[in-house]
Amino acid sequence: MTRVIAATVLLLALAAVPYTLGPVAEQPLIGLFSLVALATLWNLLAGFAGLTSFGQQAYLGIGAYALYLLAARGLDPFLGIPLAALVAGAVAVPVSFPVLRLSGGHFAVATWVLAEIFRLAVTLSPALGGNTGVALPGLGGYEPLVRQAVTYWWALGLAACSVLGVWLLARGGFGLRARAVQSDPVAAASSGVRVDRTRRWAYCLAASGTGAVGALLFVYTLYVQPGSIFGVQYSVSMMFMVLIGGIGTIEGPVAGALIFFGLQQALSGYGPWYLVLLGAVAIAVTLFAPRGLWGRLGRPVFPIGYRLE
Amino acid sequence: MLELDRITKRFGRVTVADSLSLAVRPGEAVGVVGPNGAGKTSLFGIISGDLAPDAGEVRFDGRPVTRLDASARCRLGIGRTYQVPRPFEGMTVLENLLVAAEQGAGARGRAGLSLAIRVLAETGLTELADRPAERLGLLHRKRLELARALSTRPKLLLLDEVAGGLTDPEVTELVEIIATARARDGLAVIWIEHVVRALTGTVDRLLCLAAGRIIGDGRPEEVLAAPAVREVFLGTDPR
Repeated sequence: MTRVIAATVLLLALAAVPYTLGPVAEQPLIGLFSLVALATLWNLLAGFAGLTSFGQQAYLGIGAYALYLLAARGLDPFLGIPLAALVAGAVAVPVSFPVLRLSGGHFAVATWVLAEIFRLAVTLSPALGGNTGVALPGLGGYEPLVRQAVTYWWALGLAACSVLGVWLLARGGFGLRARAVQSDPVAAASSGVRVDRTRRWAYCLAASGTGAVGALLFVYTLYVQPGSIFGVQYSVSMMFMVLIGGIGTIEGPVAGALIFFGLQQALSGYGPWYLVLLGAVAIAVTLFAPRGLWGRLGRPVFPIGYRLE
Repeated sequence: MLELDRITKRFGRVTVADSLSLAVRPGEAVGVVGPNGAGKTSLFGIISGDLAPDAGEVRFDGRPVTRLDASARCRLGIGRTYQVPRPFEGMTVLENLLVAAEQGAGARGRAGLSLAIRVLAETGLTELADRPAERLGLLHRKRLELARALSTRPKLLLLDEVAGGLTDPEVTELVEIIATARARDGLAVIWIEHVVRALTGTVDRLLCLAAGRIIGDGRPEEVLAAPAVREVFLGTDPR
């Protein structure tokens, strides 16, 4: 009960930021919230269903470009965010059939190659702005301050829904199935688990949520380019956050996002050394806390799993 | 209830099932012995759906299941254990059973939980319910393997050397667990075992497999006495 109250108070305090701390705080927090959502969704794939993807940027891009097409037809871009999520989820369904035939490293490489194919397809499409990218139409009616505040609330909402959604999935029957599939797909199948279906749900749900984040990033930056939105660095940072935070837990990706965000802020002035330091942090955490920092230091706030007591 | 109809399976030049036919009746307990490489574990793979045969048909409860995957066959009532236990690591003993109860037996929510708790008690794992599966010793891994298979509420249970590596008293306990489950649910059992002593008290029929063929099938003592069976054991007395 105290947890529910604490979570509600935290959410309300964060929701009030546009009125209290104002635009100065909104900007970095939008970035942080998208990181929380991305890490949490990557954890749904890798931490629960055992699918290590290097290609989640495909769905960031699909979400962003779906939003562009919807906004170009006159839809309010904010209302387009959930629709962009649906489009990304719908694209993931047919894609899942070939990629889920693979596992482990093959799956990781295949998803990456697929993201590159999507990037090339966009680059070669004049209707999507080709290599130069497109600006988001349809936000002219919003005051810049209001626009940023609404973007902020969407970012907060996406982060909160991702964490809550993945927690609800992970603690129920789906989490049980997914963890069994991750641990041993062969034994899971002979215990009656529909392995392919479980993986497909995880893949498509993660794709859908990632698509929403892609649309949100577009709304925030107002401009999208295939070279950046389809960049593999997104998947690398998702992996970084989940691994240093604690894979297979609900709190780990959130902690990882906070750490990653903090490092970004603190080290951004050091140029390329920033990447070297990130790498050093990743190596140190993997060596000294293989289950992530939360796995080693934290106690579960969002428990998953069943106990007899 | 289970019929194998002229099953053939080859791995390169090795034949693990050579036009093999077999019928098992409901409630029957069949032991399987045979030298290493005779095709015993492959036979289980073909029955459970882990392994697709090159030719032939598998029927269960009167319907062909050759094209069904392992998951669907489990839900129809074929439960199996693995020779080298394959627990779901990172999950507790209870969670291991819950997966099987919810997915294999279709017992969702409370029904699944009470089924899992009952199996925990029957297999003597209640005290270890909340322990992560990777922290179990061999005896309890073997028990968990059996418990998870029982949690799918099988009509046919495939036991692959569940007694291997255990001490005599441990084997006795395991045999009792299986006997209790059979007495209550009337399930059929096919049991591969090198510890023939564990089999003879339980099974009413013994198969001897060699090079993918059945070279002995009948009452245990008759099969073990047959010259063809004694020959494949190369002088080592299977009794």
